[in-house]
Amino acid sequence: MISTQIALIRREIWEHRSIWITPAAVAFVVTFIAIAMVIMAAAFGETVNPEIEQLADATLPESVRRVALAALLVGNTTVFLIAMWFLLIFYCLDSLYAERKDKSILFWRSLPITDAETVVSKLLTAVLAIPVATMAAAMVSHILNLIIMSVWLGVQGANPFRFIWGAVPLFDTWAAILIFLLAVPLWLAPLLGWFLFISAWAKRGPFLRAVLPIAILPILEYIIFRSWNLGLAIVERLSFTAIPIFNISEFASRFDEDNLHAALAQDVSLMSVLDVGRFLGSVQVWAGLIVCGLLVTAAIYVRRYRGES
Amino acid sequence: MTSLVTARDVSKRFGDLRAVDDVSFDIEKGRILGLIGPNGAGKTTLLKAILGLTECEGELSVLGLDPFKQRKKLMRQICFIADVAVLPRWIKVHQLLDFVDATHPNFSRESAETHLAKTKIKKTSKVRELSKGMVAQLHLSIIMAINARLLVLDEPTLGLDILFRKEFYANLLSDYFDEERTILVTTHQVEEIENILTDIMFINDGQILVNASMDSVGENWVELAASGDNAAKAKGLGPIFETEMFGKSVFIFENVNRSNLDGLGDLRTPSVADLFVAKIKQARAAGGVA
Repeated sequence: MISTQIALIRREIWEHRSIWITPAAVAFVVTFIAIAMVIMAAAFGETVNPEIEQLADATLPESVRRVALAALLVGNTTVFLIAMWFLLIFYCLDSLYAERKDKSILFWRSLPITDAETVVSKLLTAVLAIPVATMAAAMVSHILNLIIMSVWLGVQGANPFRFIWGAVPLFDTWAAILIFLLAVPLWLAPLLGWFLFISAWAKRGPFLRAVLPIAILPILEYIIFRSWNLGLAIVERLSFTAIPIFNISEFASRFDEDNLHAALAQDVSLMSVLDVGRFLGSVQVWAGLIVCGLLVTAAIYVRRYRGES
Repeated sequence: MTSLVTARDVSKRFGDLRAVDDVSFDIEKGRILGLIGPNGAGKTTLLKAILGLTECEGELSVLGLDPFKQRKKLMRQICFIADVAVLPRWIKVHQLLDFVDATHPNFSRESAETHLAKTKIKKTSKVRELSKGMVAQLHLSIIMAINARLLVLDEPTLGLDILFRKEFYANLLSDYFDEERTILVTTHQVEEIENILTDIMFINDGQILVNASMDSVGENWVELAASGDNAAKAKGLGPIFETEMFGKSVFIFENVNRSNLDGLGDLRTPSVADLFVAKIKQARAAGGVA
């Protein structure tokens, strides 16, 4: 059972090379920009990136340096996050459509694998493989960026082992980023289930067939009921900040103007910003997962009962 | 003899169209059955029902299983190649071997590699880089490495040149077929496979016209080539089919006493292709009258 799933997920990664090419390309671009900035700084003798040099300011409190480095990694990860969001949507839309378009579906169905196993493997690819691939690329990008900063500081005569490697809260930040990357597809789950269903069902043009109802139904709701409940729910699912995983009290204290210095003076942890318990206890999250389960079941039935060749 | 496939009153409807119309038959172990019919006769629908790819009415049992409800279990013991079940173009040969190895309990990777070593197929190639013939070789190499009890071939050699087609069936017979295995094959190139078939089944408009062993074809049908008065006499004996060839009239008779035809001309057992044409035309003529 598990070995079949592993084989199926590996198959998805072979077929949909964008699963690793997209984050790898983002890592390449992010690193390229970092190198270009350092080279420009060196060439023009100016501080293009003053933040890096401030890190080497020995008077800077250690906690502020930690926050600055964590913020830098989070900022870098944002690009990966946006890329992953698009990847999730387009992967789900294509995953069950491609095998019909290239007519390989009957070959796949000639193997002793149930339709449920196949469709579930596509969901697992979205929920697990895509975040893990994104995380791996982000980690490589983080390391490369820290190395570039180290070289830059080293050339300036500062000690990168003290100001960067000794200060960066790497594992705390990575743990938080990984949890967040895994939470994103779970939060998006009802939409991913919808895209998988359309992918299994649409004879052609899955993108329009998936997107039009999402765009039109809220408008119909407004015309008929003068309310925006559906539209708001969809927008909420599509946004990162609406994910019920943030530790609200932690946030409030962190961004309280009066308290800002006190907050920064503490030992900062990105993990403390996340509240996994709140996420797992959220009715919204579970409601989304149930909707996803229903739509995935529908996708399995469509694949199984469609008699076309 | 145990039946591998048992069908009783099997039907499949698409709206008003009866693609398969109340058919009953058995396929026994160790046979090579040719399922032959014109386009749209219901061959592919029937095969799909046997493969559990489509639901049907009636009683259909394959290897003792309900093909639609127990498809996964069935697929461990059945293989199929269909012209519509193409290999994915993006996959690399070694990936395909890895995948089948990981998901099929009766697959022997070693055997597949042995078959592949006899071809020009490189394991690092993608399917899209292979010629159509090579793709068929690859598919056959995989299928032959699966220890299956029933192999279903739906137009497996469509679009291949004659060399590949001959080689395909030669490999199948020499390296695959034995008395424990059964092959069900459909093709339009009947002449090329008639010497390997043990049984034939003709299907037209969703119904079975002929279901016979090759051995019995000679007993039930006879072809007569006659000219002149003999031809006129032969016509009076009620042939099911008549055509002209090289200035002679060629007749096909069904269930006649050969001695009645003695002296009228050259007698021989009709080829499967000729018999097929005769039976289909007969059925269409009957349909036209009705």
